[in-house]
Amino acid sequence: MTASAPQEQRYVLRAVDVVLYFRTTAGLVQAVDHVDFHLGENRAVVIIGESGCGKTSLTRAILRLLPRNVGVYKGHIYLDGEDIMALDDETFRNRIRWTKISWVPQAAMNALNPVIRVGDQVAEPLILHKGMERKDALERAREMFRYVGVPEAFLTRYPFELSGGMRQRVAIAMALVTNPRLIVLDEPTSALDVLTQANIMNVLKKIKWDLGISYILITHDIATSSELADDVAVMYAGQIVEMASAEDFFKEPLHPYARLLMASVPRLHGDAELEFIPGQPPSLLNPPSGCRFADRCPLAFAKCKEDPPMFRVGERLVKCWLFEKEGTPVTSHEALSGVG
Amino acid sequence: MAQQAVAAAPAQETRHQGGVPTWKRVLRYTVVRTIGLFFAVVMGVYLTILIANMGGYVDKIRMAEIQERVSIRFMNDPTFRQLPEEERRKRIEAEIALEAKRLGMDKPFLVRSFLYLRNALTLELGFAERMTSDTGSRQVRLIILERIPPTLLVFATANLFLFFISLGIALYLSRNYGNLLDRFFVATSPLSSAPAWFYGLFLIVIFAAWLRVLPFGGMVDIPPPPTRWGYFLSLLRHLILPVSALVLSALFISVYSWRTFFLIYSSEDYVEMAVAKGLHPRLVERRYILRPTLPTIITSFALTLISMWLGAPIFETIFNWPGLGRTYFQAVGFFDTPVIVGITVIFAYLLAITVFLLDIIYALVDPRVDIGGARRQQG
Repeated sequence: MTASAPQEQRYVLRAVDVVLYFRTTAGLVQAVDHVDFHLGENRAVVIIGESGCGKTSLTRAILRLLPRNVGVYKGHIYLDGEDIMALDDETFRNRIRWTKISWVPQAAMNALNPVIRVGDQVAEPLILHKGMERKDALERAREMFRYVGVPEAFLTRYPFELSGGMRQRVAIAMALVTNPRLIVLDEPTSALDVLTQANIMNVLKKIKWDLGISYILITHDIATSSELADDVAVMYAGQIVEMASAEDFFKEPLHPYARLLMASVPRLHGDAELEFIPGQPPSLLNPPSGCRFADRCPLAFAKCKEDPPMFRVGERLVKCWLFEKEGTPVTSHEALSGVG
Repeated sequence: MAQQAVAAAPAQETRHQGGVPTWKRVLRYTVVRTIGLFFAVVMGVYLTILIANMGGYVDKIRMAEIQERVSIRFMNDPTFRQLPEEERRKRIEAEIALEAKRLGMDKPFLVRSFLYLRNALTLELGFAERMTSDTGSRQVRLIILERIPPTLLVFATANLFLFFISLGIALYLSRNYGNLLDRFFVATSPLSSAPAWFYGLFLIVIFAAWLRVLPFGGMVDIPPPPTRWGYFLSLLRHLILPVSALVLSALFISVYSWRTFFLIYSSEDYVEMAVAKGLHPRLVERRYILRPTLPTIITSFALTLISMWLGAPIFETIFNWPGLGRTYFQAVGFFDTPVIVGITVIFAYLLAITVFLLDIIYALVDPRVDIGGARRQQG
């Protein structure tokens, strides 16, 4: 660990062996199962995968936003080299939440308190974390409104007086206001029309260029996210099965699941029929012991009964036995070097 | 490209510049609510006049009474007894007509019902037929004015306690969802289906009859303590049981439902957002759970309050509490229409004032409450 310390600095965020299980009456749900994950300075990683594959749970693990029924929550998450999993709740709240990591939740349009003026809500973290005067904080909020394209007069409005797209922008302004290192965006555009989606994506791109903030972006909308992504992580049944730079990934995904996933994205040119993946993702209650995709995989073979390690293939990481020959297996600690 | 995109979207939404100031919204709301409530009071009072007079049937009873009274007076008076039969009947009829005219019974009931309505609304409540005030007056207004303070005292005290006790317990339970106390309140919530007077009976039996630590009823000791301080203490002692009964009767359901509101509202996305923003848990609770839940809480509280008013006649009778409710109960027993109508008018006004105050509070705590608010709502 000490040897790799200088390397940690290259990453804004490194997640090592993160586990998040939920307790249910039926047993433990393995929502995030030994996930390794990293994010470079001023980069955007897009996490894709089917509904229920654990994308949102992964971001919750990073933000420590846990429901009551957490069963197991362990691993290491390094933010600028510091293990934030080791911090106690109060320190985490004071030093990490919103000062270092901010969040644009799924359905961000409902993320605003209906009885407080939006300006005050955006200014709130500044007053709290930076000890700013309300007046100065509101001034900064006004700046952020201008930046994300919300009319300044809306500062004194209540959320119900704003349209969905406007509320989404306000949520983004709120995430930006403290100038964090990292913003976690959980499907920031899923409930919006295509025009507004494009607008928001452009705002996000602009933020990345101007402010040098890193993103974790969760989305179902692979086409739109490809605009923003530097890296891609594919999640399946609680695990990351492939990580690669966006360029490589969109050219040719390696993991059979990723290939099928990409084949199901409509394209403008070409007559190829859209494919779908037969079957259902395995239950996270009792996932199969081998490769979790084996049951649905067209290329499955005998070896798939065993759990595949992460293989490094060139610059990329893939969790599939098909790459045993070309790649070299890596442990979770090693997995972090050389990519990103 | 980014610039262009940023500029494009807001264009359609700039027509409302800035928010409406809170005072303006609340004022507009208040005016409209006042008009609405006034009509509700008018309707309520008029219906009471119709019902209390049994749609005019009570007039027949009254006429019969007048006839009887006049006839008996003529029978018993020796001067009239000497008059010839014909002459005497004529005199009696003239006397009856005069008496009816004096009481305004010569006009048709429908016309008089509106006169009653006007008098009632302007608190010209007239004279009681049988009851008197403690000072010996027959003026309905005096009878009622004497009775309002005790009623307000007991109900206001009980409601204040109820509101804050329920709020405190409900918040505590929502924080400790599923613990023993929480399950206790969930299990005991049906206890609130019994009215306050029912609890009153039990409390009287336990604390007055059995333990003999608190008085059975009434407002102060008899004779009243001479000193101001002594009077106050005696009043407090007499307040304990009625207030406890009122609080007990509504507490379980209030705590249960408010706790549920808090639980529902604490699963809202903006609460999680507040946590992610790193706000202190107490601040999250106050600003992101309590504040947005308040309108719902106030609605529920208003309903409780109104149903408490409705129980006043029996409740005050049980505790021998010299308030409006007990007087109402007595007036019904005496068939004293002016008093019944008078108290109903006062009750209607009290209810209207209650609803009105709660409405204003409601508008203050929830910016979405606004007359014509739907017009400004955007997708």
